[in-house]
Amino acid sequence: MRRNQGCNPIEHAMARRQFLAGTAAGAVGIGVLEYQAQAEQLKHQQKRILQVFLQGGVSQLESWDPKPGTVHGGPFQAIPTSVPGIHISELLPHIAQRMHLLSIVRSINIKINNHEQGRQFMEKGRRVGDYPYVGSVASKYLTPPDSELPGYIHISSRGLTDVAGGAAFLGARHGQLKLKGVKPPSNLAAPNGIDPAADVRRDQLRLQFNRRFAERRSKALTDAYDASYQQAAKLMSRKAMFEGKASEKDLERYGTHDFGRYCLLARTLLENGATCVKVTHHGYDSHAENFNFHLEQLGEFDKPFCMLLDDLKERGMLESTLVLIHSEFGRTPKVNVRYGRDHWGTAWSIALGGCGIQPGAVIGKTNDTGTAVSEREVDAGHLFHTYLQAVGLDSTADHDLPGRSVPIGDPAAQPIKELLV
Amino acid sequence: MNPENPETTEVDINAIDPTKTHQVAEFKHDIALTTLRVDPTDRFAAVGAEDLDVQLWELQSGKRRTLKGHKSWVRSIDFSADGNRMFTACWGGEINVWDTSPSEPSPLQTIRAHQGSVRFVRVSPDGKQLATCGNDLLVRVWNVPDGKLVHEFSGHKRHVYGVDFHPEGKHLASQDLMGGIIVWDLKAGKQLRNIKASVMTGYDNKFAADMGGARDMQFKPDGNQWASAGITKVTNSFAGVQDPIIVLFDWETGNEIKQLKATDDNVKGIAWGVRFHPDNFIVGAIADRSGKGELWFHKPDEEKAFHTMKLSSAARGLDLLADSRRLAIAHADGYVRLYRMTGKPPSAETPAEKPATEKTG
Repeated sequence: MRRNQGCNPIEHAMARRQFLAGTAAGAVGIGVLEYQAQAEQLKHQQKRILQVFLQGGVSQLESWDPKPGTVHGGPFQAIPTSVPGIHISELLPHIAQRMHLLSIVRSINIKINNHEQGRQFMEKGRRVGDYPYVGSVASKYLTPPDSELPGYIHISSRGLTDVAGGAAFLGARHGQLKLKGVKPPSNLAAPNGIDPAADVRRDQLRLQFNRRFAERRSKALTDAYDASYQQAAKLMSRKAMFEGKASEKDLERYGTHDFGRYCLLARTLLENGATCVKVTHHGYDSHAENFNFHLEQLGEFDKPFCMLLDDLKERGMLESTLVLIHSEFGRTPKVNVRYGRDHWGTAWSIALGGCGIQPGAVIGKTNDTGTAVSEREVDAGHLFHTYLQAVGLDSTADHDLPGRSVPIGDPAAQPIKELLV
Repeated sequence: MNPENPETTEVDINAIDPTKTHQVAEFKHDIALTTLRVDPTDRFAAVGAEDLDVQLWELQSGKRRTLKGHKSWVRSIDFSADGNRMFTACWGGEINVWDTSPSEPSPLQTIRAHQGSVRFVRVSPDGKQLATCGNDLLVRVWNVPDGKLVHEFSGHKRHVYGVDFHPEGKHLASQDLMGGIIVWDLKAGKQLRNIKASVMTGYDNKFAADMGGARDMQFKPDGNQWASAGITKVTNSFAGVQDPIIVLFDWETGNEIKQLKATDDNVKGIAWGVRFHPDNFIVGAIADRSGKGELWFHKPDEEKAFHTMKLSSAARGLDLLADSRRLAIAHADGYVRLYRMTGKPPSAETPAEKPATEKTG
């Protein structure tokens, strides 16, 4: 595949070696300033994705595209943001203060009202077919070869079905490592009765068998297998990272509820080199009591997300981290008899920002009652191209697979150019 | 319209019998309604809706006035004892005060009552104060004539859904999303009692969210009990699958006295209204998840209703009229319907045969 040559794995590797050398040298007298400069360089080099998935379908009218006082507007007000002229729902007061870091796409029509199909389309940029999720694509092309963490990590309180972890033909190595809450992946500890020395001997035996197996076969067959072992070994050595120990100050800022802790873990993982971290916040499928539930759920989402955004910015990571906030679809403008809103893929919104994204923009428009897109209609295919181009990947190139090539993004869709820096 | 005129009939239709409840009038708005209050003199029925207006019907004539002045949906309404003042609370955090006499009323006063929604407004028994509660977790008390803040009570940890004055006027009870009930001493300006009505809240495990809250509250006029309407047994609240419930509490002890529940297990939804009837029964108004509704008539010591009545549309607000024979319900289909808890006069035919009701709009 072709890709933006702004950064590549070799550069990442070099940068890491320079960083490590600098760290060691620092101990024997190289100046702090040089260390900081190298650290800064490293922070800016690896491009990452933070994906926040509001599961169930957040209402665009209670978030990014409020229409108070209109027939379907609901009871909540719109509030001004840090970007003059942009208003969002009063349910997102912290994000409103940081709107200059994000942009909104208000003109999405995916023509899908089904949870699973909508989620697949939003992740893969294709309506049908066995294609990798955006996180798997990022893992494949943005993760440095010596990364200490899996390229694609998903934190969620409960399972969502993702075949092959979303990796499709990219291989299991680029599928999601799923974390059920803030705790290490299961089965990280060595089995009872296997001490470290025995574990090393077992691994040496495995490598010996591998070498013999590989003598008459393609190396690719054993590479993926080896990579799994290496990744597992790295995870075992970093188990503590997943335990989510947080300072009092961080807990005060992010909150002690699950989503606050997920955001803190996401920060740790991104800081430690994870390429794509997806955090799922459940509870938006509000067929009943839409307004009370959005009040509760967005109230829980707004502040911790903003603390994470602040921390990424403060650490100099925001310009190299693409931040996505999306659902599988939006919710119906019409309020049903249960004060609910139902599934609605016809005219809804997402927000995004950070790496490669023009901040403070609003793309597209819905009509006065929110029932249809009135300007600049896009779908998940366009968004998929946009995400990848924002992180420097050429989404119009092909996955180079043995014996075939597969377009990375849907050839029928294009990126939203005006959203890209 | 003339919704009814019992004096013109030859039979005694004044004997209250809830099992004979029947619709006697209806008033139509184009938008789904959100709340309802009848003034203490039985002149007006006022409703909020899924729009920015208040609809005020004169019950005798059926004349409707549309009151403009809110920036959001109206969630709660109350009247002064003489019906001349009306207080409306909206999701935008404001209370509007209205004079009910002009042909085109405009707000006499707007009180910025809460940050976020005001969910409830109630007039004190002496008519001199208002109690409000909102999404800023506060309960506040206001002077009626000047709109000045008298008390601000903090203590709820989650959104406060309902508040009411005890009839002797010295205390308030408020209830939050998690079933937390606080009794406030107005003279001392502090909490008197903290009660946990855990039965009225639930955590939806699948969607990882809490559901609950008092959707209506009322003290019994003698002050010995209060009732709270809401939900219980949360199963899948995002689809409206939970049980409606009305809980009675003892004022002296704060203890729960009785849980009033659906007679039909298939009724799933929310209890949006509760009233103590002077004849010592309790009326509940239910919104079923199907979009239909139900009226409950309970004896205070029996879990199951002694009579229920299906409603064509979900109930979103309930009030008894001062004549104690009629009740009014705000429905999700945009109608206010008046029901009479007595037998029909011999000449009256069922609505299916001949509308005993008159639509106004």
